[in-house]
Amino acid sequence: MMSAENTREKFIEAANRKMILAHKCTKCGHLMLETVLFCEKCSASKFEHAELEGSGTVVTYTIQAVAPEGFEDAGSYAWVVFNVDNAKLRASGFLPGVKEPKDLPVGAKVRVTGFDPKHGLMLQKS
Amino acid sequence: MTSKVCVLGAGSTKYGKLNESIIEIALNAAKDAIESAGITPKEIQAGYISNVFGVADKQVHMAPVIMSNLGISHVPGLTIESACGSGSVMFREAFANVAAGFYDCVLALGVEKVTHTGTVHSTTLFSYCSDFFYEGGNGASFPGLFASMARAYMTTHKATEEDLAHVAVKNHENGMFNPKAHVHKKITVDDVLKSPVVASPLKLLDCCPFSDGASAVILCSEDFAKKSGRPYMEIIGSGRGASPAAVQGREDITTIPSTVAAARQAYKMAGVTAKDINFAEVHDCFTIAEIIDIEDLGFFPKGKAAHAVRDGATRLNGEIPINPSGGLKSKGHPIGATGVGQVVEVYEQFTGKAGQRTVPNAEIALTHNFGATGASAAVHIFKKVDRK
Repeated sequence: MMSAENTREKFIEAANRKMILAHKCTKCGHLMLETVLFCEKCSASKFEHAELEGSGTVVTYTIQAVAPEGFEDAGSYAWVVFNVDNAKLRASGFLPGVKEPKDLPVGAKVRVTGFDPKHGLMLQKS
Repeated sequence: MTSKVCVLGAGSTKYGKLNESIIEIALNAAKDAIESAGITPKEIQAGYISNVFGVADKQVHMAPVIMSNLGISHVPGLTIESACGSGSVMFREAFANVAAGFYDCVLALGVEKVTHTGTVHSTTLFSYCSDFFYEGGNGASFPGLFASMARAYMTTHKATEEDLAHVAVKNHENGMFNPKAHVHKKITVDDVLKSPVVASPLKLLDCCPFSDGASAVILCSEDFAKKSGRPYMEIIGSGRGASPAAVQGREDITTIPSTVAAARQAYKMAGVTAKDINFAEVHDCFTIAEIIDIEDLGFFPKGKAAHAVRDGATRLNGEIPINPSGGLKSKGHPIGATGVGQVVEVYEQFTGKAGQRTVPNAEIALTHNFGATGASAAVHIFKKVDRK
């Protein structure tokens, strides 16, 4: 069985290589992003790391006009949910520099640029 | 086989910015509920308390403190947290314990006090209710998370920002008739559209306020209620549901699976359908939430609620009045209390205490309350009991 240890550190390490680290059930192949010990589809408990291309298509997003603590100095940014390319999986991240909805139509392409300890999974438009 | 459970008394503080301590706020609601039920604290056999951010007023482990202050320190209490859905989730546990026969009479009380921490810090505290590593930690506030759901809904169902604004206008209109509401202000669609953007496409008047407040009800067995000689209502349906904690984990971002599951259970238990409900109190933390809720609860087909709201179907005189209390949007949202406050509204409606916001001839009502973006939810259905 996989342990929950260090999974976030490994996710961050992969993000800094512009990849997304997911967990793949060795029994049914189901992909999950979260730290998992049992598969939500088949309940099996063996997983392998699956490094996915850090790119995808915007499903939805918001532009945070009022930023929460820790993001006050981030300028105008979007929090984005995207479908990860070539995988049945969604992820979300921080996309700086987005001022208006016309800057980021649903369906636009984004890619991972790294992980910032202050702002999380960093994205840019591609 | 479970026993019938009734709501015998109910009380609330005003919702808004309150100066009292969190315990004083809780006790004021408890006193109202106890007096409303015509009982003494000595008749309470257990206390169920819902609260999220007691730590912000230097008090956790709240149940025994409240019990002690009611003069019943020997009565066991339990404090329950489930983000903004804490009140209804706690109510469900109180209901289940009476239904199972463990107790004949219990206090169910929700309380919150956050406004003293200021808007920015409250926003941050609330973001801890998200799946923080993926959401709050990447810069999404709660308005931001619901804004992402709004954009998904608007993209899929061709709804507009103006459609969402009609929810706010209607709930503020109802709240004008609620003396305990946080916000007493009539607004127009134009006011909503011109209010400052918080997280696009949601604007300030699409968002509920941060509120302090407490609500409490007395739950009891049917025998206890009958013997009291007081007005009461019966809980005929109760359901719980869950969704992936993070928005990104949901296949369809325009629906909340926990609501659908909880409603299905509650309708089945009550032996009714959405068509039998005379009015509903639903979780409208943001205007988009009410649109999604009333579809997930079965009042309108998927993608049709926005237009129904615009056409007046959810107003006090509409085909299915939604949030006659003013909802979270106008009545306010003291998150630990909100789910209980909805039950208080049903009790006041059924016992002739709702004044100008009364839904005429209502016999069956539904409450719906969820935590975070709907990661947890509870739905309850109530039936008015005619004592004639």
